[in-house]
Amino acid sequence: MTEKIQELRRLASMEIAAVQDLEDLDNFRIKFLARKGFIAELFDELRSIPSEDRPSSGKALNELRLFVQTLFDQRKRQLGSGSTKRKEMLDLTLPGRARWVGSQHPLTQTLDEIKRIFFRMGFSIATGPEIEDDYHNFEALNFPPDHPARDMQDTFFISEKILLRTHTSPVQIRVMENQQPPVRVIIPGRVYRNETISSRSYCLFHQVEGLYVDKGVSFSELKGTLVTFARQFYGSDLKYRFRPSYFPFTEPSAEMDITCFLCKGRGCRVCKMTGWLEILGCGMVDPNVYKFVGYDPEQYTGYAFGMGIERITMLRYGIDDIRILFENDVRFLRQFS
Amino acid sequence: MRISLNWLRKYIDIQISPNDLADRLTMIGFEVENIEHLGAKYDRFVVGEVFEVQKHPNADKLTVCKVGIGTEVLQIVCGAPNVKPFQKVAVGLTGARIPHNQHDPDAKPFFLSQAKIRGVDSYGMICSAFELGIGDDKNGILELAKNAKPGLPLADYLGINDTILEVGITPNRPDAMSHIGIAREIGALLEQKVNTPSTKVKESKKGIGKYASVRVEDKQNCPRYTARVILGVKIASSPEWLKESLNAIGIRPINNVVDITNYVLMECGHPLHAFDYDKLDGHTIVVRLARKNEFFTTLDHKNRELRDDILMVCDAAHPVAIAGIMGGENSEISESTVNVFLESAYFRPQSIRKSAKYFGLSTDASQRFERGADPSITPWAVDRAARLIQDICGGEILRGKIDSYPKKISPRKITLRVGKTNEVLGIRLSAKRISSLLNKLNIEVLKSNSKGISNKSLTFRIPTFRPDIEREIDLIEEVARLHGYNNIETKNFATIQFSEGVPKEDITDIIRKELTGFGMREVVANSMQQKSVASLASDKIVEIANPISKDMSSLRTSLIPGMLSIIRHNIYHGTKNLRLFEIGRVYFHAPGSVDAKMVEGYTEDEHLLLTFTGVAQPLAWDQKPRFVDVFDVKGELQSLFDKISLDKIKYIPYPNTKALTENGLIIEINGEYVGSLGSVRREILDRFEVEQDVFIAELRLDVLSKHVKTIRRDFRALPKYPAVRRDLAVVLDSRVPVGGLEEKIWQSGQPLLTDLELFDIYIGDQIPSGKKSCAFALEFLSEDHTLAQEEVDDVIQNIIDQTSRSFGAEIRK
Ligand SMILES: [Zn+2]
Repeated sequence: MTEKIQELRRLASMEIAAVQDLEDLDNFRIKFLARKGFIAELFDELRSIPSEDRPSSGKALNELRLFVQTLFDQRKRQLGSGSTKRKEMLDLTLPGRARWVGSQHPLTQTLDEIKRIFFRMGFSIATGPEIEDDYHNFEALNFPPDHPARDMQDTFFISEKILLRTHTSPVQIRVMENQQPPVRVIIPGRVYRNETISSRSYCLFHQVEGLYVDKGVSFSELKGTLVTFARQFYGSDLKYRFRPSYFPFTEPSAEMDITCFLCKGRGCRVCKMTGWLEILGCGMVDPNVYKFVGYDPEQYTGYAFGMGIERITMLRYGIDDIRILFENDVRFLRQFS
Repeated sequence: MRISLNWLRKYIDIQISPNDLADRLTMIGFEVENIEHLGAKYDRFVVGEVFEVQKHPNADKLTVCKVGIGTEVLQIVCGAPNVKPFQKVAVGLTGARIPHNQHDPDAKPFFLSQAKIRGVDSYGMICSAFELGIGDDKNGILELAKNAKPGLPLADYLGINDTILEVGITPNRPDAMSHIGIAREIGALLEQKVNTPSTKVKESKKGIGKYASVRVEDKQNCPRYTARVILGVKIASSPEWLKESLNAIGIRPINNVVDITNYVLMECGHPLHAFDYDKLDGHTIVVRLARKNEFFTTLDHKNRELRDDILMVCDAAHPVAIAGIMGGENSEISESTVNVFLESAYFRPQSIRKSAKYFGLSTDASQRFERGADPSITPWAVDRAARLIQDICGGEILRGKIDSYPKKISPRKITLRVGKTNEVLGIRLSAKRISSLLNKLNIEVLKSNSKGISNKSLTFRIPTFRPDIEREIDLIEEVARLHGYNNIETKNFATIQFSEGVPKEDITDIIRKELTGFGMREVVANSMQQKSVASLASDKIVEIANPISKDMSSLRTSLIPGMLSIIRHNIYHGTKNLRLFEIGRVYFHAPGSVDAKMVEGYTEDEHLLLTFTGVAQPLAWDQKPRFVDVFDVKGELQSLFDKISLDKIKYIPYPNTKALTENGLIIEINGEYVGSLGSVRREILDRFEVEQDVFIAELRLDVLSKHVKTIRRDFRALPKYPAVRRDLAVVLDSRVPVGGLEEKIWQSGQPLLTDLELFDIYIGDQIPSGKKSCAFALEFLSEDHTLAQEEVDDVIQNIIDQTSRSFGAEIRK
């Protein structure tokens, strides 16, 4: 039995080399692989050999069939693509067969990188609705009704009390409403501003917000977290500064600037000659906000921060018109493959 | 706000450079957005002396002048009739930016270049006052003083040396919206004293009581109303210094009295209003709410309908001003005004905010009142303005002032705990240090309560000009601001603490990476679109009440229309073969729907859209291009499902057309609808001007991710025994769908059948007409023994029997 298998293996190897066209190939198949072919015959013989030899012979036979089948398949493919004829005049300067190349949108690439850094620092993700109510978008964030701070953000309204969120901060409220401290989340998402569309502003953009509330969280740690983030994102040799600012839902509030990486701080058009680039807003969560979500401001402190993905992406790649990000011209997308 | 350095210097001595000052203001929360040197606009202008004037050889109205500018003599062609030898003139050199073009209807600026005018070279321009932007005279050149020195920069000659800081003032700081306000902050910064001007007035013998009266009916919205009357003023244009001060910060001078009220506003931040005393009916002021159906014409000549919650300043008969926002035509200061009634009031912020919103008006006055003015400053402001009026416009200030202030607003008292301050900021400051920091801002410590060192607290008095300081935390911010944010230690995770387990990677992130690997490009599209577009996929549209334009009045209900616009854009720009995807939300108005994660009555779903158009494979030199079809979509989708370990997927053909697609399949996972695939309907493509076919699959990501059980997989041992492969071709009625046949083979091949692949479908001469032959490659495997030929034969026989029974299929020999 073993000899017959060896013999067939040799025979098949020889004959496959002689196959020149599809007709030859079909003959080969009938001879070896078909129902009444050589291999099938051997399988029939299997019944007549001693039963203790059967498993090993069966295994060898199966391997033979696989081998012959593979010879057949390979030859079939070669004949199919007509390669035998080209063998004599193989022109290797011809281009290879390409595949499609994909790409992630630059905005989601930036967001991915930001998320990765905060994941490593123990933050998890939270999301919330873009269609928001006045309570979550403004009131619970310490923008009282009829407060001038509301003018800082031009709002799209759906109805009197329903609007398109102007920032991702309402998700802070939603998270705290549903969870007791410690809270450590980042909140990515789309936000809307009713502003005239221009190269510098679009009717919508994306933010990543961060929130950390626990016992004994201080401004000093807020700085630490954001500096760690900025060093990982912008490079470890970065210079930074925090300066006072105002957001109704944080107190004290700050803005973080880093040295302009385009002019190395010497001053250029992008940094408006200041040498600094504003990259995010932040602050300690205002005690009024805790009152809205039922946290005890005497027991807990925390910080929040937020940054614009478009702005960061534009600075990073030197994009000077925000609208190109939403045009989705493949000639643009291709650059981020 | 524009802050003039020259103006600031009236109150505080500033020795540091403008750049330095700007940096330091920025670091205490007053971001200087721009520094403008006013003289810079006359960079290429100098004083010149005309030596010679000759007729232009080719033009009657032009002359050719020789003008000395100190170091050289320029030839300049001039068109002005009044140019004469030995005049001193303003010369724009080549490269100068001329502020106004006299010959342009909009008087736009232009850059001067060397030119040939009617064949004669001209190396500059002799300018008129209008061209320089310092007057209205267009009829001739500006003649400078006889003693002006040729070659002197024009800015120096004109005395324009001011520097303007453009300061961003956050809405919580109304007290800083003035030069004295900013000077106070600089005072705290440089530890210097701020000097405010004297308001001592010379009063006449006539008491104001006989001349005017004030009655505040709405004391809640007008807690304080202070006024003075000045008789016998002369209205004229303001002196140069006053006009210059206002011009420098962007306020157009009007007449001396109005300019003075504006000046005092920009000086101390308190809005004033001057009425023509003789036009006030009964010489009386009444502060009250407007009446229903009352109308009022404001200074900007607009006739406005009033609402009954709008606070108005009225005379005995009519409204004369919208309180805190804008005066009226009926009582405005004009050239004929002789007597002036000067208002210095404090209005309740909420009331002014309401009016400003109702009228859609935002004025210098309303901005300050609605953020919170200083109730204590009204007498100072009215005296300051009265004194300036007397100095500049003459007249007599009546003795005394009216001051309606029934309920005094006292300074707040706030207690600050030293321990809490240090805890929130993460620093260690002593009580003494905290007091001295706050003291710089005129926040004085009233008492110090010591209950042991750790419980020490301080009580402070907050000046009335700081409405933003209401609580302990607000004081803590002031401490941080003056201590310097950058002097607070940057603590690198002193309390590192990991959240429970590794944060789960978002399923959308995984899908995004896989699709990118499949050679697809991600797009991010606008979620606002035309109502008629949004309504293509659903009638439960969310509409925006105040859209930017009709083109963006609704939120999308499907990702398809936005994608079609993107496809159209790309085809138009030459890319016809596109494989794009988007992950984004769609929005529905669903009255009555309650979802704890959403706003009641609205739903938002995360969708995934795959789109294919053009050829299926990148063009290759030895292959005929094949256009994509619905099976490419199905194939890519199946690969994705395999990648994210999704099974129990069912594709169900939908008989007719859907809203946007046709010839497609509904996709179910575990019996739940997850989306559909198909080709975009021709009418829809036409609407988006896309000529080529587009194939799509749109899926609900929330449903999809629900069925992704786990991304972690367990290892399965490789099979120990060899697999047996067999081909099987069955012939059956060509109308029978392959899907059912496949399923039947799969079922009847269990448990040994482990893989099944359709590799050929044949219709033709070799089989009866109306039939098709489907060829499958089958793989059989047992986990515990090597399969014998007969075992497999039995299974195949069973498959043949079953398919024959169900579909009348026969084995193809
Ligand atoms: Zn720069």
